[in-house]
Amino acid sequence: MQHLTEEQLVEHYYHDGDAEAAVAHLRSCAECAAQYQTLERVLGLVDDAPVPDRGEDYGAEVWNRLRWKLGASRRRQWKAPLAVAAMLAVAFFIGQFWQGRSNERSGTLTVTQTAQKELSSKTVPTATNDKAVDRLLFVVVGDHLDNSERMLLEVVNAGSAVGAQEERAGELVAANRIYRQTAMQRGDDRIAELLSDLEPILVELANAGSTLEGKKLADLQQRIDSKALLFKVRVVSARTAKQVNSL
Amino acid sequence: MEMTDVAVVGRARSGDSDAFRLLVEKHSRAIFRVAYRMTGNQHDADDVVQEAFLRAYRQIDTFQERANFGTWLHRITVNCALDLLRARGRHDKHYIHEEDGQMTREAATTEPQPDRLLLSAELQKHVALALQDLSGNERIAFMLRHFDGMPVEEIGKTLGIQVNAAKNTIFRAVRKLRHSLEPLVRPTQCNT
Repeated sequence: MQHLTEEQLVEHYYHDGDAEAAVAHLRSCAECAAQYQTLERVLGLVDDAPVPDRGEDYGAEVWNRLRWKLGASRRRQWKAPLAVAAMLAVAFFIGQFWQGRSNERSGTLTVTQTAQKELSSKTVPTATNDKAVDRLLFVVVGDHLDNSERMLLEVVNAGSAVGAQEERAGELVAANRIYRQTAMQRGDDRIAELLSDLEPILVELANAGSTLEGKKLADLQQRIDSKALLFKVRVVSARTAKQVNSL
Repeated sequence: MEMTDVAVVGRARSGDSDAFRLLVEKHSRAIFRVAYRMTGNQHDADDVVQEAFLRAYRQIDTFQERANFGTWLHRITVNCALDLLRARGRHDKHYIHEEDGQMTREAATTEPQPDRLLLSAELQKHVALALQDLSGNERIAFMLRHFDGMPVEEIGKTLGIQVNAAKNTIFRAVRKLRHSLEPLVRPTQCNT
């Protein structure tokens, strides 16, 4: 009599293969029946392998970790070009602003520049231009602070680990540098100081690799906490929103 | 009245984040169980759950209303688990390998003694260790066959391997489990 192979026993267990032939053989062969019984017991043990119970609140916990990422995921689709455009606009205004100031200081305005300045001062009042620049700056900085706050919240609320943040953090670092320089040049010390505090944290997140966990995560949480960074971000963010509305 | 998944998905598709929250809250625990079985540890399982919902959110427009959302999410979860294990190189993590047709252990382990395994916690620990001995592919193929009853052809497609290779992967997994766990289920000899 030819015994069932190990593979045939496994197939029979999972209802694959020739079931009739296997059943007939198992009825007549004590050796194979014993082998099959052992297989059933082994796989029965696996059935009982424990899975940790995550409790009733697990869904809410998952949602809390997820919701910021979902927002970022959806926004990123249409917002990335907008963010680039905003950064370019800010860079353009800074350039204009500084060129104007240095020319004024040196007193070496070219004829064309003088004419342009004259023209622009006649067609669009300077105060209006300044307001538009201010408004744009506060809008983009406010948006940047909102995004940074979400990321900080994810880190602060992370239990044992926080997932990959490299791409998002990298984008935030690039934006942060531009806005910090702009704020310094404009003499907005409060924003500049906050962005200076924020930058090393964002850089660390951008370089953290796929997962931030253990001591590294704890250290970063401690740094965010010790600087009261989340609180400051919220305060300055609220202030910029107020300023946008007042302009 | 509780809304059906299809209705909730419809709302989520139109950008209602509260609707997606309902799906997350409803399916998280089930998806965690799948992820845990696939990855074998809680931390990885949490990551897989999160990634699975992120992918589901991004791909929600591809979900066909005739399908079952739970099944669709289950498939995404399995793929996320596979990606995680692949990224971590668990495929190559073989503690047991075949040598001239003979199963041998690379690392020295203490064979379990039946009299020391009376406690179910101890037994469960051995089962968990036996499952950890499986490579990523073996673990996922076995879990899909054993717990989900997925046909071998489907498992092959999921893992991106031929049907025969999928079948062999399952056999290998069962053989390893048997090798590790058989001493625990063998009837004890009474020398009376």
